[in-house]
Amino acid sequence: MFVLLVARRYLFSSPSQTLLLITGVALGVTVFVFITALIAGLATLLTEQVTGDSAHISLEPPTRVARVLAGPDLPVESVALVSTFQREQIRNWPMVVELLRSDPAVTAISARISGSAFLVKAEAVRPVSIIGLEPQGIDAISEISPNIIEGDGDLGADGLLIGVRTAEQLGLGAGQSVLLRTERGVDRQLTVKGVFRTGVQSLDERIAFVSLQTARPLFVLPEGVTNIEVKLNDPEAARAKARFLGEATGLRATPWQEKNLGLEDALQAQGRTGTMIQVFSLISIIIGVASALVLSAYRRRSEVGIMRAFGVPSRFILLVFVLQGLLIGLIGALIGCATGYGLCIWIEGITRPDGTSILPIAPEQGGYVWALVLTTLGAVVASILPARSASRVDPLEAIQQ
Amino acid sequence: MTRVLEALGIEKTFRNGDEETPVLKGIDLTLDKGELVALLGASGSGKSTLLSIIGLLLAPTAGSLTISGERVDGLSEKMRAQFRNRRLGFVFQFHHLLPDFTAMENVAFPAAAPAGGISPAMRERARDLLTRVGLKDRIDFPATRLSGGQKQRVAIARALMNRPDLIIADEPTGNLDRDSANLVLDLMREVNRDDGATFLICTHDEGVAERCSRQLTLDDGRLASNVSEPVDGFTG
Repeated sequence: MFVLLVARRYLFSSPSQTLLLITGVALGVTVFVFITALIAGLATLLTEQVTGDSAHISLEPPTRVARVLAGPDLPVESVALVSTFQREQIRNWPMVVELLRSDPAVTAISARISGSAFLVKAEAVRPVSIIGLEPQGIDAISEISPNIIEGDGDLGADGLLIGVRTAEQLGLGAGQSVLLRTERGVDRQLTVKGVFRTGVQSLDERIAFVSLQTARPLFVLPEGVTNIEVKLNDPEAARAKARFLGEATGLRATPWQEKNLGLEDALQAQGRTGTMIQVFSLISIIIGVASALVLSAYRRRSEVGIMRAFGVPSRFILLVFVLQGLLIGLIGALIGCATGYGLCIWIEGITRPDGTSILPIAPEQGGYVWALVLTTLGAVVASILPARSASRVDPLEAIQQ
Repeated sequence: MTRVLEALGIEKTFRNGDEETPVLKGIDLTLDKGELVALLGASGSGKSTLLSIIGLLLAPTAGSLTISGERVDGLSEKMRAQFRNRRLGFVFQFHHLLPDFTAMENVAFPAAAPAGGISPAMRERARDLLTRVGLKDRIDFPATRLSGGQKQRVAIARALMNRPDLIIADEPTGNLDRDSANLVLDLMREVNRDDGATFLICTHDEGVAERCSRQLTLDDGRLASNVSEPVDGFTG
């Protein structure tokens, strides 16, 4: 293509100037890629930290709300009251668990009886949240077994697992017995089978585990469970999956994002900051390319004028300059993507003594396609104004210069 | 004899605010195929303006212009560009070669740009033209490595590339030393003689004008013409 040949010759007629220009574009793209990878890595890290030890979706009985019943057939104002004769529970939980098991997006299920209780040892009393679950599924949602620092963790019929902070506060250790007094007024002597340390304060200080069978009499729930906790292979899909499960089961399904609105806001704010940096990178690229091409178009006025005198179409001249913009953008973006990726990989390789990276960067999420497309498009857009100006050069004026 | 150019009542007035400057005051000019015509005149007499109008680079204020039987004074900008490309050739005082291209590419440019590429036929014609202007050994030389005279010869070859009906030359030897000027003028005469190409050469140099088949003199925007026999020696 002749127009490409002309654009290429023009572009590389001043190699040092073109090199500087392409370097500028590449630097902008490197910043774009680095920021995109850093923000993605940070978001992944924060999400993993939040979702790693908690459920992605919680299924609970639907909330019962007292409401006024309206209708022309009712002679008097009627009110639907919330029944307090029955416990809120999921009676058909085995069916729900079966449904969840058939879903390939679900990676872990934990049917639970959750409730409040006090641990009493002599004069010391500590409030705890009791979680009753199947002993073999204790690690389904949070990693508990690997974090047991004392005891064997075998819950058995009257076993209890407590966090290290609770153990310290009550002076308890594995093998010791403690009185559990539940919110239902049931007292039972249990044996501490293990003490765990997860590093998550809310778990280590407030949570105690018992088996599902132990929990039933404690919370007077002979059949049902209070909640079913679910983990997915893609935490980001939790909202959609929760909506589906809510409709399919009639239960109240809460995705992790709704329980961590602060995190979502923080991630969004972080994303907006990244977007602003990306936009400024692009703007600087566009301004750089535009100013270089404006100068080039001005410098080549007489050449363009002679082309116009020979009747070379305006479209051809327009294309010469637009193609220069495209070449600068494309080459700069390719180099910038490569250097950005290299920079991310290098930074990822710098680790702390524990083996974790100093920066939570995700080199594979550098937004390379976007960087390539946006930079190339930006450079083309930047070239349009100088290209239009060049294509409208008055041949007579240019020749007489 | 085929009529190549017919300009009737050409007027050009430049306006600067309320001030009007008439430059051409009713020019009637005809050129037949194969003529080599010199346009003489003092500086500011309107030579370049007339050439620009005939070259469709400038619109006349009044008058009609017919080139190769086609009325061209009312053409749109796009059509004028197409017409210039197909029917007219230009040689300027300064060669105006494209510095980033070789001699061959410069010659082929007027044909290659609208066509989207240099075809083998274009390449062959460009080589032939360069051979003809005595630059066979400079075909693939970058334009920047040619001497002033060589560049002007390339410019002549470029003007001939599309086999134009009329070649307009504005002071083609103005920037050259005597030897180079002689070479360039000889070349134009040769092309005129051998190909029957029509030349309109604007010059202020009597020596150049004397070697043309006809001389026209422009004085204060009006044309006076006479015919002279070509002479063999050009003394610059």
